[in-house]
Amino acid sequence: MIGENYKDLAAFSVREAGKLGASYAEARIQGSVGSGFLLKNGEPQPSMLGDSFGMGIRVICGGALAFGATNNLEKAAVRALTTKTVRMAKGSAPLVKKKVRLEDSPAVHLKVVAPEKEKIEGADAAWLKALLLDMDRKIQAGKGAKIPNRILIASSELDEKYYINSDGSEVESRIPRISFFGILTAIEGGEVAQRMIQQAETGGLEVVKRLGLVSKVVEEARILRQVIAKASKLRPGVMDVILSPELSGIAAHESVGHPQEADRVLGREGAQAGESYLKKSSLGFMVGSKEANISDDPTLIHSNGYAPVDDEGVKATKRMLITAGRVTEFLQNRSTAAELKARNNGSARSTDFNREPIIRMSNTFVEPGDYTTEELVKEVKDGLYFKSFTEWNIDDKRLNQRYVGLEAYRIKNGEVGEMVKAPVLEITTPALWGSVKGRSKRLEFEAAVCGKGDPMQGIPVWTGGPDTLLGHVRIGTR
Amino acid sequence: MDPIELNERGMKVAKKLGVDDAVLQSVSGTEHMVRFANDSLSVAKRTDESVVSVYLAKDGKRIVGGSTNTSDERLADFIGRLYKTMVNLSKEAVFVPLPSTRRRFDSPGTFDKKLGALEEEVPELAADAIEAAREAGARRSAGSLEASVATSHILTSNGTSGHGTSSNIELNIRSFTDRNASGHGLSCSASLRDFKPVEAGRRAGSHAKRMLNSKKPEAGKYDLLLSPTVAANLISLVGGFASAYSVEAGLSYLVDKMGKKVASENFNLTDHGRAPGCLEATSFDDEGMPTQSTKIIEDGVVKSYLHNLTTAKKFKTETTGNAGLIDPDCWNLEVGAGDSGYEEMVKEMKHGIVLTSNWYTRFTNYRTGEFSTVPRDGTYLVENGRVTKPLSGLRISDSLERIFSSVKLLSKEREWIQWWEVDTPTLTPWVLVEGVDVTRAYGSSA
Repeated sequence: MIGENYKDLAAFSVREAGKLGASYAEARIQGSVGSGFLLKNGEPQPSMLGDSFGMGIRVICGGALAFGATNNLEKAAVRALTTKTVRMAKGSAPLVKKKVRLEDSPAVHLKVVAPEKEKIEGADAAWLKALLLDMDRKIQAGKGAKIPNRILIASSELDEKYYINSDGSEVESRIPRISFFGILTAIEGGEVAQRMIQQAETGGLEVVKRLGLVSKVVEEARILRQVIAKASKLRPGVMDVILSPELSGIAAHESVGHPQEADRVLGREGAQAGESYLKKSSLGFMVGSKEANISDDPTLIHSNGYAPVDDEGVKATKRMLITAGRVTEFLQNRSTAAELKARNNGSARSTDFNREPIIRMSNTFVEPGDYTTEELVKEVKDGLYFKSFTEWNIDDKRLNQRYVGLEAYRIKNGEVGEMVKAPVLEITTPALWGSVKGRSKRLEFEAAVCGKGDPMQGIPVWTGGPDTLLGHVRIGTR
Repeated sequence: MDPIELNERGMKVAKKLGVDDAVLQSVSGTEHMVRFANDSLSVAKRTDESVVSVYLAKDGKRIVGGSTNTSDERLADFIGRLYKTMVNLSKEAVFVPLPSTRRRFDSPGTFDKKLGALEEEVPELAADAIEAAREAGARRSAGSLEASVATSHILTSNGTSGHGTSSNIELNIRSFTDRNASGHGLSCSASLRDFKPVEAGRRAGSHAKRMLNSKKPEAGKYDLLLSPTVAANLISLVGGFASAYSVEAGLSYLVDKMGKKVASENFNLTDHGRAPGCLEATSFDDEGMPTQSTKIIEDGVVKSYLHNLTTAKKFKTETTGNAGLIDPDCWNLEVGAGDSGYEEMVKEMKHGIVLTSNWYTRFTNYRTGEFSTVPRDGTYLVENGRVTKPLSGLRISDSLERIFSSVKLLSKEREWIQWWEVDTPTLTPWVLVEGVDVTRAYGSSA
């Protein structure tokens, strides 16, 4: 955990800012140590180690917000940064038309330690390398099309923070995480298929077993070979579609989580990540069928987006984003909650000491339903089972989205049939969530890194859901 | 923290450990940023940071690391951990020692010291852009303005050393007249003299006004006139695909394309390490080798991939001074100018679309270069050589090779682009491309 001398330094900065006239101040000491190993086409690459440590502070003076960061943690440097940050806030106040106010979240004193059975420190380069070599051997042992290009990256990271603010909150955290990213390229007879795989959880060495990481990746390699060998061209048309947990999750993240970030709704991300098709007044607005239920939960143990206390010192809670088709909650931080007079659900997160906390998703998912997957398939006379995707994107209001399939099958008369190539679901957000007819019981998650902010902050999240049945949607092909 | 002092401290530790090769590279700088939304300043930011990158090699093994934890004790500990980790790993399949030639590099001389003393002016420059946008028709604007200066230093175990000072100022402004009507403007420069916030604001405001009452187009094939902002997004991706590392990894549509035609004959793409006017000029790369200008595509034909010492050995060629200790990368990209004007290019289009900004470019497959991207802000239908109406809700879906093989015209006028969607500074003209696939989402809007 962060040393007492650094905690004193954070408290010193908060006190100094107050003396200089800040009505609010916070300081965050954050350190992150990581190891990474990359196997390229079976060839080990130089190992990578990272060590980041520094302090970020935020102050409010006269309704103007300023953020300062440094990795020089000598007392004189922290004093200088604090002075400059307060001066910056005061200097910019004349150009602030809408003053920043913070809602009165209760002060917390918490120590957050993500569960970890086998200490993350054991996941050094040699351990990561052994994991990837084993995985690579098993991928290559598979029968069928060649997979000549295999990028396999495994990494371990330990993120530690100490946070204190002038409203009395004090939070300490230790979050270990194991991540995997891979790109497999299968080639045969002029056909090329590519699969990106991302898996991550918070925890120690046990994450690899808990995820069943090696067998998952080997299974993806097997499916990729089948795509090359078996997938046939699909005739575009209107049909029922079952979205797998992977597809349900990305759709929930992109077209529900993002547009329900309150800072986007209020225009703060307008020039970069964009705004939202929803307005301040959209709470209660119907954007889906009664079967559309989507949540974001930062408290899920082992999750990639585990953040039970946010980076404003607020205890985070599960957010019901869409309930029975209606918009029920936005993701909030202290300033948006004050402006919208809403409950603050503790969504402010920061990736490093040198980044300001902004509103982020954690683990966004379609809530599971009552069906089994088999029962959902039986519901479909003529349709598609959309299991994994490659290309995807969405406009910056989060209204027009597209997902291009990799693993997908025709469904005929309630039976999963032939594999089809590159189906395209290109659909508006209300049309997508308005067509939900049923959900399976199984709930699964994929890992992702979500980009937002300026400077950019890539933050770990989970996306997930059950199998989700959409009725009568238009499917094209690439 | 002084980068020279950081490197000397680090090198002392590395040599004591008995490494064969070491490279210490430190960058120290200050960054000021303001962000604004709804014409109001939302936050002012300042970052004072020093980062040290370390490369060690011994007995054919290599390791790299990066740290902001730069106190005496922690830096020594970090280098010690790097060394310990490296010696426990196996030898590399291809190992290239650092060359014995000792070099000295000077700064490329693109530094504008005024950008280091802009703390008070940054909010005012943003206010100038907001006001210009409002005068041009914007109801509200959002954006960011960032000014930074940095000093870098490199020291290698063979005695090569070099330093560089760099400066950068970048404005990104987006104006709105309605929820569905927006315009984008940007200005980026290495000097205050060439920074044009008012022009960028005016452009954003003017597009926002013209975009009122936009309609979804029909899906189909269109000629596309790509603004420098849109062209730079795609070209910077081509630059990344030219990295020999991406080619070797099979993650590039330029695999096996050396000497082959991948673009129209009028298309030329060059990477510059330190040419005059570059936004991110550097005299040396991360291996302490001199940077240069490298023709990636000449007259539509692939002339060179981008290399560091290791990829150059694998490809049996010379480094192009683009290290990246693991993955070579481009520094500053330049697309050759054409001889057309904007009006002339619009007149050439029978059934086309003018695009001024885009985001969220994602690939189906890096190996084939198939992708889609989402246009946003000023987007206009062109019918029989005339701009007729604003469009929204569309998507470009094609492949990089097909797009750059269908370049009909390039403009004389070129612009440097660097912003949220374009990491590598790119100097590019307007680009007219024939017959590109345009799609749209179906279903109602909210």
